[in-house]
Amino acid sequence: MDAKKAAILSEIPRLRRYARSLLRERDSADDLVQDCLERALVRLDNWQTGESPRRWLFTIMHHLFIDQMRKVNRRGEAAILPLEAGEAQAAPADQVETIASREIMDALQAISPDRRAALVMVAIEGFSYAEAANILGVPAGTLMSRIARGREELRGLLDDTSRRRSIRIVEK
Amino acid sequence: MTRSDFSERDIHMALDGELPGEERMAYDAWLEANPEMKAKSARYIADRAAMRAALAGVMEEPVPARLRQVVLGEAPAKASPWRSRWWLSAAAAVVLAVGGLGGYVAGIDSVSRGDDGDDQLAEQAIAAHVLYAAEKRHAVEVPASDKDHLQTWLSNRVGLKLVAPDLAAEGFQLVGGRLLPAGGQGKAAMLLYEDAKGERISLFVTAESSATSKGTYTAEGGEPEAVYWLDKGYACAVVGSLPPERLSDVAKTAYGQLVAGISS
Repeated sequence: MDAKKAAILSEIPRLRRYARSLLRERDSADDLVQDCLERALVRLDNWQTGESPRRWLFTIMHHLFIDQMRKVNRRGEAAILPLEAGEAQAAPADQVETIASREIMDALQAISPDRRAALVMVAIEGFSYAEAANILGVPAGTLMSRIARGREELRGLLDDTSRRRSIRIVEK
Repeated sequence: MTRSDFSERDIHMALDGELPGEERMAYDAWLEANPEMKAKSARYIADRAAMRAALAGVMEEPVPARLRQVVLGEAPAKASPWRSRWWLSAAAAVVLAVGGLGGYVAGIDSVSRGDDGDDQLAEQAIAAHVLYAAEKRHAVEVPASDKDHLQTWLSNRVGLKLVAPDLAAEGFQLVGGRLLPAGGQGKAAMLLYEDAKGERISLFVTAESSATSKGTYTAEGGEPEAVYWLDKGYACAVVGSLPPERLSDVAKTAYGQLVAGISS
């Protein structure tokens, strides 16, 4: 196996984590990773040996994700979930989630995709502002405002969730 | 000169490691002097920790073979990209199966279970429905006329306090129930209901679930469909060939009563 492929293989766990934070569902997240890897292999020549494949792969994946979100919006797919909004979100198949995990993942899915990507890129994946701005293809100022708004939105959603939960307890 | 004009923006920068090192002490002092900002910072830190914790398990999972194969050039049989909604319910059904097996510990062997399509329990609920709902005379072991015995018997076998939901408001009457195997050593109760037109739905209930989830699962070929819940201690699937919204309504009514019965 050549060095490039070995380097790409070693990035898969991170790509999967990023995809999972963007899409939540394991299978669809892995579909995104698979599309990313396929595109990367076709464009292997664009990547210089010696350079970390991480930024290169994340950039490819981000473009695919944004394309996908546009398609979903056109189809209105989010509107045809079988149960009530929120209730229908199935948990990932691979882990038994704690309530706290489920709440934060639900909240993360509820914020706008742009903010979600910016926040996760920095807070989870550990990219610097400059790197993340580069990967997402936005100015650093835009990235910062997405992160700030994303955090604030996430906090508001989590507060709403805990408020609803305490109301339910009172009703019982 | 020491900087002192910090703002909310700096909270984010500090959190993300973007605050210049020489400003850190002045920033900390500013935070101490502004309890509101300090609380905000602490909250963001806590939310980030929760996010990291929720996603930490992903890094530990074995890489799915199909992803390795892409890189190694061993072309896998690839489904169409961005397969439509089936994966949403299919993924959730695997949780149902895993939860129903009992003794499942988070993270262990989870990916291979999922990849093997080990979604037996959702399949079982549907298989039981397909098999028994079609039976005219032998659909149930204990008929609704003997409801008290049915409930006591199934409760004892399954290990849950089982109260057959009253679905009259939804137009369904209890036909009866039976005991079924579920996921190896587990047992499941199946309760069959029928409406005035002879349309049947069934409830499939097992104990020993350690997971919490809910979703829908559709059999290959489109129907019947299962709406299911897992809660700590039990799993429940409502199976039928009703329009999805109607099935979902009936399922909610049934589930509400089951939970009330179990926790009473």
